[in-house]
Amino acid sequence: MAAWPDSPQSLGKPTSRVDGVAKVTGAAKYTYDVQPDGWLYGMILRSKWPAAKVTKIDLSKAQAMPGVKAAVLAGGEQRTVRFYGQELAAVAATTKQQALDAIRAIEVTAEPLPFVVKEDDAIKPDSPPVGDGPNLSQPKVDSKGDPNIDALFTSAAAVCEAELRTPVQLHHALETHGNTVSVQGDHVVAWASTQGIFSVRDGLAGNLGMPQSNIQVICDHMGGGFGAKFSPGVHGGLAAQLSKAAGAPVKLMLTRLDEGLAVGNRPSSIQKLKFAAGADGKLIAADVENHGSPGISGSRKTAGGGGGADIALPYIYNFPNVHSQQFGVIMNTGPASAFRAPGHPPASFGTESMIDDLAVKLNMDPLQFRLLNDGNPTRQREYKEGAEKFGWTAKYKKPGSDPGPIKTGIGCAGATWGGGGKGSEAQVQINPDATVEVRCGTQDLGTGSRTVVAIVAAEAFGLRPDQIKVKIGDTNLPFSGGSGGSSTTASMSPAVWDTCQNALTALQTQTGVADARGAAWPDACKKLGINPLTAQGKWQEGFSSSGAGGVNFAEVEVDTETGHVRVKKVVAVHDCGLIINPLATTSQINGGVMCGIGYALYEERIMDRQTGLLLNTNFDSYKITNIADCPEIEVILINMPERGVIGIGEPAVIPPAGAIANAVANAIGVRVHSLPITPAKVLAALGKVPNVTAV
Amino acid sequence: MNPFEYVSATTPDEAISYIGKNGRYLAGGIDLLGEMKDYIISPDILVNVKSAVNPSIVFLKGDLAGWALPASVTVSELVADQGLRSTLPGLIEAATEIGSPQIRDMATLGGNLLQHSRCWYYRQPDIVCLKRGGTTCYGTGGENKYLALYSGCACVSPIVSNLSVILTALDAKVRVKRDGKEQTLSMHELYQEAWKNPAAHNALQPQDFLLSVHILTRVNRSAYRQVSEKNAFDWALVSCAAAGNVTDGKIHDARVVLGSIAPVPYMVEEANKFLEGKPLTDETASKAADLILKDAKPLAQNGYKVPLAHTLIRRTLLALNA
Repeated sequence: MAAWPDSPQSLGKPTSRVDGVAKVTGAAKYTYDVQPDGWLYGMILRSKWPAAKVTKIDLSKAQAMPGVKAAVLAGGEQRTVRFYGQELAAVAATTKQQALDAIRAIEVTAEPLPFVVKEDDAIKPDSPPVGDGPNLSQPKVDSKGDPNIDALFTSAAAVCEAELRTPVQLHHALETHGNTVSVQGDHVVAWASTQGIFSVRDGLAGNLGMPQSNIQVICDHMGGGFGAKFSPGVHGGLAAQLSKAAGAPVKLMLTRLDEGLAVGNRPSSIQKLKFAAGADGKLIAADVENHGSPGISGSRKTAGGGGGADIALPYIYNFPNVHSQQFGVIMNTGPASAFRAPGHPPASFGTESMIDDLAVKLNMDPLQFRLLNDGNPTRQREYKEGAEKFGWTAKYKKPGSDPGPIKTGIGCAGATWGGGGKGSEAQVQINPDATVEVRCGTQDLGTGSRTVVAIVAAEAFGLRPDQIKVKIGDTNLPFSGGSGGSSTTASMSPAVWDTCQNALTALQTQTGVADARGAAWPDACKKLGINPLTAQGKWQEGFSSSGAGGVNFAEVEVDTETGHVRVKKVVAVHDCGLIINPLATTSQINGGVMCGIGYALYEERIMDRQTGLLLNTNFDSYKITNIADCPEIEVILINMPERGVIGIGEPAVIPPAGAIANAVANAIGVRVHSLPITPAKVLAALGKVPNVTAV
Repeated sequence: MNPFEYVSATTPDEAISYIGKNGRYLAGGIDLLGEMKDYIISPDILVNVKSAVNPSIVFLKGDLAGWALPASVTVSELVADQGLRSTLPGLIEAATEIGSPQIRDMATLGGNLLQHSRCWYYRQPDIVCLKRGGTTCYGTGGENKYLALYSGCACVSPIVSNLSVILTALDAKVRVKRDGKEQTLSMHELYQEAWKNPAAHNALQPQDFLLSVHILTRVNRSAYRQVSEKNAFDWALVSCAAAGNVTDGKIHDARVVLGSIAPVPYMVEEANKFLEGKPLTDETASKAADLILKDAKPLAQNGYKVPLAHTLIRRTLLALNA
């Protein structure tokens, strides 16, 4: 097919979302808004215990209550539950209150078991076993270079060693997880808040024991997915079972509390890092050890399986000698899942913190230290362009040297991500009245996928994006994969381009118009006669690639008398190959910076050691970035059309925490070793808290 | 939530006649409905009192000369009142820090003063803590970074009402209809029960009807400062209010109060006395802070509140010079 154009009309032009008006007027129907005729409220009964042996679950009272149309078990009746919030049963009722009443009427008989919900406790040899194996996994060991790494530390000019910690980050998409499932005989329609309509379809097929072809999954608009919305989830399976039992559609959207318990999360990390550099500023060696907890999901030789807690240590730098050990720690908390750039933000925070500390020790500018040790040419370019815009050289001061109690500091950090695409298919229909409909079974997480389809098709046909009717979010459309790994745009853009090229060729052949694009379009279409023209296409090599960089510069203000940190400015420099829509790309990066600020300063799941229960059950105590917390964000896009489309979702979220942590350390002259960087930790790091010496 | 009856009242007496032993007055509903949805409380009747008192902010003459603030006034109405803004900046500063604009539009003065504990053990739907009628205060030995430095009982959940802090500094009085009579309570009397009784959030019984708040003292300076983890829409880690008369560079009748560090607005008379007649300087403000904080008993995770409170006391006092 034709290559991406050298002088595009629509590609790379800031384009407002084709569904923007529908969204801001409320006309757009999100999964939460779907209300098929006769729908019932679905609700889940969850374990009140962090660990318990359940012997009986009596649904009879609930089933007899007014309005209750179905009640099902989430697993066997007799089973061991291993975390607070694990699903036990579900009900479907005519009203929300009836469902709530029914949930509370289910009688569960259980014998509480010992539990452990803190990483430090779970590691201890005498801690209660969470699963069938040990709580602490065998380590995954990696090494390169000199096997006698200890000797390198002894002889190095500068060595930094510290323990750095990151908390479990909860998913909390603004639209909670959930589905509305309608099982009608051997046909199923499901409306899902999902990152993968086809993976939800396949999951429901397995759950219901039905052919995949009998299931249609729809996702017109959804309120965010960050790695935990690929499968129907336990809740989706329960909605399907309830719908089957009740003979009516069941809408089962999770509550905010549910969202904090069982939908997946970003694993914690306890990183013991030891880095060495020579007097010339070159990195010599890294000895790293990580203990991370994916909650109940375990890893390697512990019980359970799936989501691991390994992180990308040491991150992005050229260490000739590395020794690394990664341990998984299971405990009685909700399972981990993918979370926007899995394994990267914690590794970036840990590594970038130590890189800055080493630079300080060597009396080097941290930016120059990075340029010396980061071999990636894209990041080199990004650091240089970003530093210029940010004013790094003018702003950089020695750590803690800003006078007065309120101190300003700056820091930077880098990212790497794969991205890239594959597998998408598309279809286009050109009508004799010159209208165009493009169909692709992808989904729009809120990132602007619908608009990407319109832009690519408009480019191919010489039309405006608003002249393209886009159909996505339905498994009856041509296949496109899940939206994860920053792969959506790189998968579907080439597919839509290929499809449109095929359509254009067919149109021109059929009508004899040499170039049907732009002004010639209406007449060419008219020549089709009475039948529309339909064409297919698919993703092809050569129009996308992978491997993105990205760097952040952050400026913060720290009140050393209150410990409060305010992020004043972030400059985010990113590449993602050929940029389809700079407006949406910028927006995606703004969102990544906001999410990264939350990780740096606010977000932390708090489990209670005494009860084993989650304590921050709502947004007043599980704190996310609000608009008042947003700094000035300047996004610099490095357009590299020659590389094809890559993807931006994940790299945007990686560097903020490291850059902000470094800016805080630069401001106050001491390091806060754990996220989130709260006033309590800043005051402790400054030695201002009685009887507390370290964080 | 559990089922309940719902009525609207047009006078305080009518509201009281409906309330019974397990009823609740509904004004803004910000705190009440959240607790009901989480089954933390289950009143059998809600009495809508939004129209039960005249919501006008007035400056009264006579026995109760001073500002009269009806309990049903919204926080946004307080913030918008030009008279309050020009005479009691501390009250406006405290009100502006409450929640978000949407919350301030709904939340009322009475509701803010009488809101229940925000301790995450108290609010956890599946934990029955001491304050909820259980036997254990989990905060004392648990996750206590947001909890109190002082308590007169086994519950360490702090009061989080911003307005309680500034109104204590302003030595406000509340008018309450109780047992058929109107009574005047000091702010101390409104809250003291929570100091010694783990189950209490304040001294009012379900039947007691909070009518209004009166600011009778004529102070020429007031200020409120708080520090939260986030920049806005967040609870104070520590808050501080101060009020008094500054004449010829010296403070008189000072009242300095801390919030979010005790079950009640926390004031140390000795510090107020120390400040009498002194200029407000780094040194005097710092000494006052020392006096206020000398008996602090930090828990494992909230020791940072001591230096934080010290800073806030100094800054709030120095703000009175402006």
